[in-house]
Amino acid sequence: MSTETLARPGGRTSLRERVQSLLTRLDLLLVVLLMMAVLTALQPQFFLTRENLTNIARQISSNAVLALGQFMVVATAGIDLSVGSVMGLCMTVLALLVKSGWPAVAALPAAVLLGAAVGAANGLALTRLHLPHPFIATLATLNVARGATYLLSGGVPISGLTPEVRWLGSADIPVLEGTPFATAFPVSFLVVLALYGVAAVFMGRTATGRHIYAVGGSPKAAQYAGIDVARLLVLVYVLCSALAGVAGVLLAGRVNSAYPTAGLGAELDSIAAVIIGGASFFGGRGTPGGVFLGAVIMGLVRNGLNLMNVSVFWQQVLIGLIILLAVYVDVLRRRAAEVER
Amino acid sequence: MWRTRGVLWAVMVVALVLGLAAAVGSAGPAYTILLSMKGPGSGNPFWAAVERGARDTAKALGVNLVVLAPPAETDVQVQIAQIEDQIAKRVNAIVVAPTDVSALNSTFDKARARRIPVLFVDTDGTWPHKVTFIGTDNRAGGALGGKFLCERLRGRGEVAIITGVMTTQSIRARVEGARDTMRRCGLQIVAELPANSDRALGQQVMEDILTRSPNVKGVFAANDLMALGAAEAVKARGKTGRVLIVGFDAIPEAAQAILRGELAASVAQNPYNMGKFGVESAVKVLRGQSVPRRIDTGTTLVTKQNAARYAK
Amino acid sequence: MTGDGTGLPLVEMEGITKRFGAVTALRSVDFSVQAGEVVGLVGDNGAGKSTLMKILTGVYRPDAGQIRFEGRRVHFQSPFDSRRLGIEMVYQDLGLAENLDPVANLFLGREISRRFGPWRLLDEAAMERHAREHLASLRVELPSLRTAVEQLSGGQRQAVAIARATAFAARLVIMDEPTASLAVAEAGKVLELIRRLKERGVGVVLISHRLQDVLEVSDRVVVLNRGRVAGVLEGRQARLEEVVALMVGGAG
Repeated sequence: MSTETLARPGGRTSLRERVQSLLTRLDLLLVVLLMMAVLTALQPQFFLTRENLTNIARQISSNAVLALGQFMVVATAGIDLSVGSVMGLCMTVLALLVKSGWPAVAALPAAVLLGAAVGAANGLALTRLHLPHPFIATLATLNVARGATYLLSGGVPISGLTPEVRWLGSADIPVLEGTPFATAFPVSFLVVLALYGVAAVFMGRTATGRHIYAVGGSPKAAQYAGIDVARLLVLVYVLCSALAGVAGVLLAGRVNSAYPTAGLGAELDSIAAVIIGGASFFGGRGTPGGVFLGAVIMGLVRNGLNLMNVSVFWQQVLIGLIILLAVYVDVLRRRAAEVER
Repeated sequence: MWRTRGVLWAVMVVALVLGLAAAVGSAGPAYTILLSMKGPGSGNPFWAAVERGARDTAKALGVNLVVLAPPAETDVQVQIAQIEDQIAKRVNAIVVAPTDVSALNSTFDKARARRIPVLFVDTDGTWPHKVTFIGTDNRAGGALGGKFLCERLRGRGEVAIITGVMTTQSIRARVEGARDTMRRCGLQIVAELPANSDRALGQQVMEDILTRSPNVKGVFAANDLMALGAAEAVKARGKTGRVLIVGFDAIPEAAQAILRGELAASVAQNPYNMGKFGVESAVKVLRGQSVPRRIDTGTTLVTKQNAARYAK
Repeated sequence: MTGDGTGLPLVEMEGITKRFGAVTALRSVDFSVQAGEVVGLVGDNGAGKSTLMKILTGVYRPDAGQIRFEGRRVHFQSPFDSRRLGIEMVYQDLGLAENLDPVANLFLGREISRRFGPWRLLDEAAMERHAREHLASLRVELPSLRTAVEQLSGGQRQAVAIARATAFAARLVIMDEPTASLAVAEAGKVLELIRRLKERGVGVVLISHRLQDVLEVSDRVVVLNRGRVAGVLEGRQARLEEVVALMVGGAG
């Protein structure tokens, strides 16, 4: 990625360049494949089974959705600390609505819209009140949302959701029936794949997606180009918190309970997935595909060590080390770019 | 960049191998039982005792024991993932202290589909197919505390109760047990106030009680933290020894306070028994024997006589 | 095709005065550019060069005076208005998105999209084609159109910024210190680019402290001194000492 200054001037993007760029994007995938190979070798009877793989898919679903929203915010060089609390709040509100008789078709969108509303508050706090950094605005929202969750729920978990409401988070769809690969595929993971697919097109192939990267890379350049930076930032925070609402829907379906501590600390996991996935904290870089693989990597680490009965603290240490390495790669990249000039 | 990614892979491989090394030797022809605790043993003497009881018993009975816990007592998702992964490994029985009373029900359904029996310890849950609940009879414990005050005050005088978060079943039961016992023996309950299981709030509430009812002679607090806070308030008024404070849990700090005379008594649970009975009952079920639906792990009154045992 | 342009005035600023509180930044300044003409705008720090250009690009509004574009009177309420007429500015900090490639930068805010059902997706092929043509017409050589701008040298970045300013039928391009941090060879390339713009009939305003560069490429040189026009010199006949004298001389 750093040595084609000698390529033919003005010519077509060379084959060498294309192969190198592909390899860069693939290296996360290679890491995932390697991890799966190692885990299969260590736990041959259990790791590569349909049950375990669908377990992993279910386990990473809500974090993956949170990470997608977080990625869009990080791409603008921002951060959203409130996603975990918003997820918990949306879960609680969803449960309360269902308990008071709302049907799934109304309660589910309402929960997601609530998330979007919180996101709008975050974005407007940043752009209208000119709070110095999204860290502060979203830290405030984190506390407000968490407090609201406790107040609304009275501090107790609310369970007993209807099967329709739970469907997205808990149902399985039989696939490949009649073949030796027949599996019960989790709907929640399908939701994840669909969302990431849409995000990939949005970020990579639309003007708005490109503008998001521009705002992250250089807000001044975006301004000179006539992009409405404030409106774009609000959009990004709205999308992020709406996705937190979706994550809450998925989790509520999975556990059939809205407990007030839901999502405590989840924002940190979403940030970890974004960083491991290759997005830079300085903004303007990364892809949804990378973030997806980041979430998968975290899921593989946790599942692999669970299968080996290893204490959850080792898992935390390992994930911390992986984050460190991922950030270091970003730092090296920046230094390499500077040296080039 | 390639070098760094290579380092990343190397670290992962090394770590996974280390993990394997830590877990080697666990599979055998005997039963494997999963103990899924609410919180980790390290840093919390309660769960450490549960784990110890379980391990000792597993060793004596010749069964394998896997002990897992989420990093925080609120982390429901991690506990679900841990149990799911063990179910995939076909563990034989699950002994669980759930982080939430109903959020794990669908996970337990999965266990039931695989004919894996589920036993609850410490915290009861709403799952209808549980084999048994092994834990403290909090009502009996509260009654113990109330009885202590009854005897020391000879059934005469004013007392108060400091409650915790009343939506928690265990707290509610303790308060009911203490309240009934003290009422029946003739003590006059002049106040029953909540302090959220928080030490500072316990102190505040005690100050209010002392102001409104200066003749109060005894206090029952639903946990040790609130009791210790109340003790501070009593000390500040110079009334140590003249107001008897009873707590619950017998944490080391409370035991030390009892030895110093700042607290009068506390009620200890028996976490070691939770682990012990948990493993014993699981093995019984696996061997086809029956197990009672409710097993009381017992409560012990801790006073100056035996506080030294709990003071470390 | 050198010379003083087509004779048709592109922009005429007459009697421009601007005050900021008690300070008068510009005092009855006249400034004009013809199509295909390169006008150097020089002056010491605080002489009023950037204020004048900010008025021309619609960032500030003058307290007195008028602006005419191709003979018609215009009022700029915002930068959009001046941009719409084809007045573009290349800022000192370039205003490029370092993390995006030259094509993306060229079309930032003006992307070409195609409909795919309910979606509007970027037409990368078309944008790359146009970018290539435009850069070729300016005879700009870049190592690659698809690597991030941050990997280009200072001169190449400057070229991309200028290309962006001229890619959309610009009539007048204002350049603020384009050669300030460049090596001699690269500065020369930028001046070549300016000449190329001239050939295409685009008007250029060149603000620079590097007076040699200004004299080399400008048809006229306007010298500001403390908010007033100290003098206007013909590019070919001007000498460095004259320019400096006007810049630092007493209030005229």
